[in-house]
Amino acid sequence: MNADWTGGPDSLLEADEQRRAVAKRFQDSEVPLIKLWTYYYGLGGDADEISLDAYLNEALHLPAAQVGLISTAMRELFAGGEE
Amino acid sequence: MSEEYPAQEPEGPPPDATELTLQQLVLESQDIRVFLTELAVLASSRLSSAGNTIHSGVTVLRNKRPQAVAASDAAARALDELQNGFGQGPCLTALHQGTTLLVPDLAAETRWAPYVRTAAQHGVSSILAVPLDLAGDAEAVLNLYSGRSNGFSGEDIVAVETFAAQAASSLRLIIRISQLSEVRNDLTAAMQSRTVIDMAVGAIMAQNRCDRDTAFSILTRASSTRNVKLREVAATVITSISGEDRITAHFDE
Repeated sequence: MNADWTGGPDSLLEADEQRRAVAKRFQDSEVPLIKLWTYYYGLGGDADEISLDAYLNEALHLPAAQVGLISTAMRELFAGGEE
Repeated sequence: MSEEYPAQEPEGPPPDATELTLQQLVLESQDIRVFLTELAVLASSRLSSAGNTIHSGVTVLRNKRPQAVAASDAAARALDELQNGFGQGPCLTALHQGTTLLVPDLAAETRWAPYVRTAAQHGVSSILAVPLDLAGDAEAVLNLYSGRSNGFSGEDIVAVETFAAQAASSLRLIIRISQLSEVRNDLTAAMQSRTVIDMAVGAIMAQNRCDRDTAFSILTRASSTRNVKLREVAATVITSISGEDRITAHFDE
């Protein structure tokens, strides 16, 4: 699911930065990838686990909507689990 | 070899995600703790004889840091914690090397000086450490302490190694089962959550005549500005439309 990334160079740069921040937050959290992916999937995420892994290793860009869901998944998961 | 043990550094290299899950399981699962405690008690009662009480404990490595997780008695627990506090000792070296290590007489031992001195003051004279081979899933060591020098015979060592190997294979299985059941529970929760969210997204698409991404961003924005979970916002949307407040996913387990 490589992104239909249609923005110009500026927005690509911005996406790189955002991705770096998300990746950093994930690494700091020490949450296993499968846990994050399952939660993200539960929010309606479409990327598979391998794409998420690649995104979090800054090797792949994902569509903005997926990035939004990944951020939401992290926010909810790191805030104290799934009730 | 023991010098390689850094004195409890707070920062280590980021652990592999799978490794972390398994180590967390070993440390956090009640079943596993009970199992390890039984192992320690069994080891201690099997090897103790009149006048030679054996104390036994289990230490597990987490994020490169050792943690005492189970013991046959308070004395063993204290000795394990003492060693972990020093960050070096025979059990940690055994854990690190993956081989059985015997210290027949603490009085004659020159390695791990600070720990050995303190352990001797606590009445320990010989130590036997047998690592549990968990096939890379986690790292654990069974520690045995005797108040006598030469407190462990060759037969004892063989016996402990044999049942440490058996215990390790059972433990591997317990770890796998715990891991799978955790993944399964998470997936079940994800299915429920996704069902509710997908329905709400569909409803928003119909109401607003927008595409899916837009519907998602409406939900996400509502969730983050109100600081309410996405799933709860979605449930509110559905309830407001249909009055239904219990949506369940349709799939068989």
